[in-house]
Amino acid sequence: MHCCHHLQEDKNQRKANQFEKYERRKIAIMSEHKRKKVLVIGAITPQFIADSIAKHSTQTSIGAHDIFLGQVRADAINGKTVQAIDYSAYEEMAEDKFHEIREAAFAKFDLTCMHTYHSIGKVKAGEICLFVFVSSHHRKMAFDACRWIVEEIKANVPIFGKEIFEDETYSWKENKN
Amino acid sequence: MSIQVKLFGSLVDIVEKNDLAIEGINDTDSLKKKMLSDFPELKGQNFVVVVSKQIVIGNQLLKSGDVVALLPPFAGG
Repeated sequence: MHCCHHLQEDKNQRKANQFEKYERRKIAIMSEHKRKKVLVIGAITPQFIADSIAKHSTQTSIGAHDIFLGQVRADAINGKTVQAIDYSAYEEMAEDKFHEIREAAFAKFDLTCMHTYHSIGKVKAGEICLFVFVSSHHRKMAFDACRWIVEEIKANVPIFGKEIFEDETYSWKENKN
Repeated sequence: MSIQVKLFGSLVDIVEKNDLAIEGINDTDSLKKKMLSDFPELKGQNFVVVVSKQIVIGNQLLKSGDVVALLPPFAGG
């Protein structure tokens, strides 16, 4: 009858609304873990790091950030000093690995955000080559996640480093535990 | 069967190329043997074999068109 027909229409509309909400939420979840490009050319600048921090001030559910910076150390090896590291990578595999680490970090830790950048090319001693930035509601997750992510990167990402000395000779860097 | 082999880091210094085409190899163990025989300096080098961007443990069969990479120790971070 007349009223039942309207009820059926309402029911269909509600279903359509629910489906649309589900689709939007699915897109939001997928975007949250959207693949982000990690490798950048050259050193990561202090200004870039400061800008990244500033960008998060609108996310008012964040209570804690933990940031790791890897800096090129002027290592002394056999009487010579490292002036710079020239980073190279199996880029397609490195980006895949960074994405896996990202997905795993979100699954393992209750994080609001996570950003990772690693330099490719020449980075001088004293400059930053790795920037890991995690954000969460509370500090415990941020501390735990940041450390975990850095260790995963050092163990599993196919990045290679040529340590260049003052006389332009070089040796290949190997991560130790 | 032709396999493309990408090389990185210290391995490029030894082989003097970033990539090679290898013929007549069917699995990763044979590939390692052939590389060590063609480039004896590789003997002192630590490296892993990667097929389709996954590290290979043990021996793995190769298909035509597989992208193989030999990776020396990592130095990220």
